[in-house]
Amino acid sequence: MSRGQNPHGLKQIELDQIWDDLKSGIRSVYRRQSMTRQRYMELYTHVYNYCTSVHGQGQGAGVSGQTFPRSGGTRNKARQATGGAQFVGHELYKRIKDFLKQYLINLLKDGQDLLDEQVLQFYTRQWEDYQFSSKVLDGICAYLNRHWVRRECDEGSKGIYYIYSLALITWRDCLFKPLNKQVTNAVLKLIEKERNGETINTRLVSGVINCYVELGLNEDDPSAKGPTLGVYKDHFENPFLEDTERYYTRESMEFLRQNPVTEYMKKAEMRLKEEQKRVQTYLHESTHDVLAKVCERVLIEKHLEIFHFEFQNLLDTDKDDDLGRMYMLVSRIVDGLGELKILLETHIYTQGQAAIERCGEAALNDPKVYVTTILDVHKKYNALVITAFTNDAGFVAALDKACGRFINNNSVTKMANSTSKSPELLARYCDLLLKKSSKNPEEAELEDTLNQVMIVFKYIEDKDVFQKFYSKMLAKRLVQHMSASDDAEASMISKLKQACGFEYTSKLQRMFQDIGVSKDLNEQFKRHIQESAQEPLDIDFSIQVLSSGSWPFQQSCSFTLPVELERSFQRFTTFYSGRHSGRKLNWLYQMSKGEIVTNCFKNRYTLQASTFQMAVLLLYNGADTFTVQQLSDSTQIKLIIIQLVVWQLPIFLVFQIKKLRVNINVPMKTEVKQEQESTHKHIEEDRKLLIQAAIVRIMKMRKVLKHQQLLGEVLNQLSARFKPRVPVIKKCIDILIEKEYLERVDGQKDTYSYLA
Amino acid sequence: MADEMDVDRDGDKETTSKPEKMFTLKKWNLVAMWSWDVECDTCAICRVQVMDACLRCQSENKQDDCVVVWGDCNHSFHNCCMSLWVKQNNRCPLCQQEWVVQRIGK
Repeated sequence: MSRGQNPHGLKQIELDQIWDDLKSGIRSVYRRQSMTRQRYMELYTHVYNYCTSVHGQGQGAGVSGQTFPRSGGTRNKARQATGGAQFVGHELYKRIKDFLKQYLINLLKDGQDLLDEQVLQFYTRQWEDYQFSSKVLDGICAYLNRHWVRRECDEGSKGIYYIYSLALITWRDCLFKPLNKQVTNAVLKLIEKERNGETINTRLVSGVINCYVELGLNEDDPSAKGPTLGVYKDHFENPFLEDTERYYTRESMEFLRQNPVTEYMKKAEMRLKEEQKRVQTYLHESTHDVLAKVCERVLIEKHLEIFHFEFQNLLDTDKDDDLGRMYMLVSRIVDGLGELKILLETHIYTQGQAAIERCGEAALNDPKVYVTTILDVHKKYNALVITAFTNDAGFVAALDKACGRFINNNSVTKMANSTSKSPELLARYCDLLLKKSSKNPEEAELEDTLNQVMIVFKYIEDKDVFQKFYSKMLAKRLVQHMSASDDAEASMISKLKQACGFEYTSKLQRMFQDIGVSKDLNEQFKRHIQESAQEPLDIDFSIQVLSSGSWPFQQSCSFTLPVELERSFQRFTTFYSGRHSGRKLNWLYQMSKGEIVTNCFKNRYTLQASTFQMAVLLLYNGADTFTVQQLSDSTQIKLIIIQLVVWQLPIFLVFQIKKLRVNINVPMKTEVKQEQESTHKHIEEDRKLLIQAAIVRIMKMRKVLKHQQLLGEVLNQLSARFKPRVPVIKKCIDILIEKEYLERVDGQKDTYSYLA
Repeated sequence: MADEMDVDRDGDKETTSKPEKMFTLKKWNLVAMWSWDVECDTCAICRVQVMDACLRCQSENKQDDCVVVWGDCNHSFHNCCMSLWVKQNNRCPLCQQEWVVQRIGK
């Protein structure tokens, strides 16, 4: 706009012609006097006129930057020396610089003796004014900035800055340098006052901080945007951090000496929050992380040992809130939680052990007591991990590890002298839940309890033992129609399937299906009897046909069926072979049972009896007395079993019971025990097969493998099912060598190779 | 109580109709186990027990349809294993006799 008034020309304007007026204008800017727009334009025009006039030794042709011949650095210097002043400004720049310097030297006189808040008042007020005025000055000198200064900077001259930067640098040299110690100290004192609970004028602090940040300009590259924070870091942040460390070291020591750790944690938590807020309200955001680190180091890390000690106390007294607070504090320290995790794990482990020990022998024989005791411990600490430790993965792992340890090894397993007691008891608990009884819970409640069972199941090492016992008991429940609910059975099987895969439950599922098929079969058979021309059966007959291989039952011993049973038996076999082909049936008499009515006593008893018992009793319809040998001969039951059967028959000739329905088919204690023992023995044999299969799988893939590696891989493969013992694995390797699946590599006694 | 009365009434009927035996049979629940009537428990083609479905049927979840087939030579296999086998070679894999189906399990 001023170009029109001052067209380019050879007009020569000497600095002195404008300086006086310009200077008085600049002075009034720095006095913060109000200025009209015209006056501002006048000052701008002065600078413009000066900068566009021609000076020096006259090659005035090229005024614009475009026509200026570009050349290398060395020749630039030479040209300047010879007074190549195509852009005019150096003299003006020097006078402005002197003016600022003089202005600030005068200003310093007012401030240099001040201390504390007064110096802050002075410094911040002057800074704000100065900064504002310098921005105005920068505007007035815009033309100078755009041409002369930029050109100088482009050419790499040192010590030439844009006018605003020049103002900052002059401030830094003339005011900041002599005053910064006082100012910083005053700020730190103010902050300490605030930490001590006094209210302070935070504007004083933020003013100083703003100034320090602004002063950090990049002198090497004046065009670089934004401050470098050098001044702020060196003259404020570092002393501030030192101060902070000193302050909190002293405070935390003293506080801990006089107060319990729980109180200290509250204090520390509060202090950390305060410092965070401090950064937000009046410090530079870059201080946030370093300050937090210093505080954490002093407030937490230095007292970690005390924390660890207290952690145990808090666990012992179930102070969940304080545990949560401690977690939040310690989690701020890198690797600080490790010790807490170890402490937690140990604590849960000992608590679990103690809880089971307290149950004493009750837990050994009462699956419900055993499992609920475990669950109570788990529930308590699971809740703790979720609420206090925010479900931190490390703490979840500690909980899992501790539970795994105490569930598989505790006073009960020691009493039973076997780690597979836990899975057995758990399976028996399932049986209790799923078996028909007067205490069966509601559907929803049962589902919930089964989910709880799965929690314990997850920790069981010998999942194969659980499987064995579970399938035995499921088989019994199904065959004896003792299941409380088909839905619950199916739900439990699907849970197990989810946890251990299809293979784990395939037999259980098959058993479940067989029962459904048998139900249909019974109906069809009944219909067949009704529709046939032959006379109906004289007894209430039902049958279950199970598929072999899925059920944990053994073949029955030989036996001559009593004539009374023969007819229904025959009709069914004919019916069955008409419906199926290629199948053979084996009879599980020991699982079959029936009811017999007595006619020989005053009361008519209904006896629930096994098939063998029925056969023996029915013999007495023909005669009054038999020897055991005679009984054995006529039923073809082995003598030893006959003795058992007879022993089981209660001597009802003499007993006077009120009940008219009597179950005489109760397994004897020894029988139950034998069954348990044989189950365990079966498990050992099954495991050997599983181990061998795993070895073959691994060796087939690896071809050659060292002993230790093989052991590792076997343990790893089977860990989801059970924990194989090393001697057993060795034995299995020997078996496989004998069967020529493997051989030892010649000359290396610890290496095996696979024989295809 | 109800139980007791039921039993008594039953008894009255029986004493009038039948000669007095010491015991009368009322109810029988028989349990049986079926298996394929085979000489060898495993299918020589897929090496899986014939009581279990062959691997193909296991993976396709068709366990219930996987039955056994007998040849004239009395050797037996999974029906689906054998039907694939005969497409390549119409002989029994165990005895090399020509394969003729004797019966299919049901």
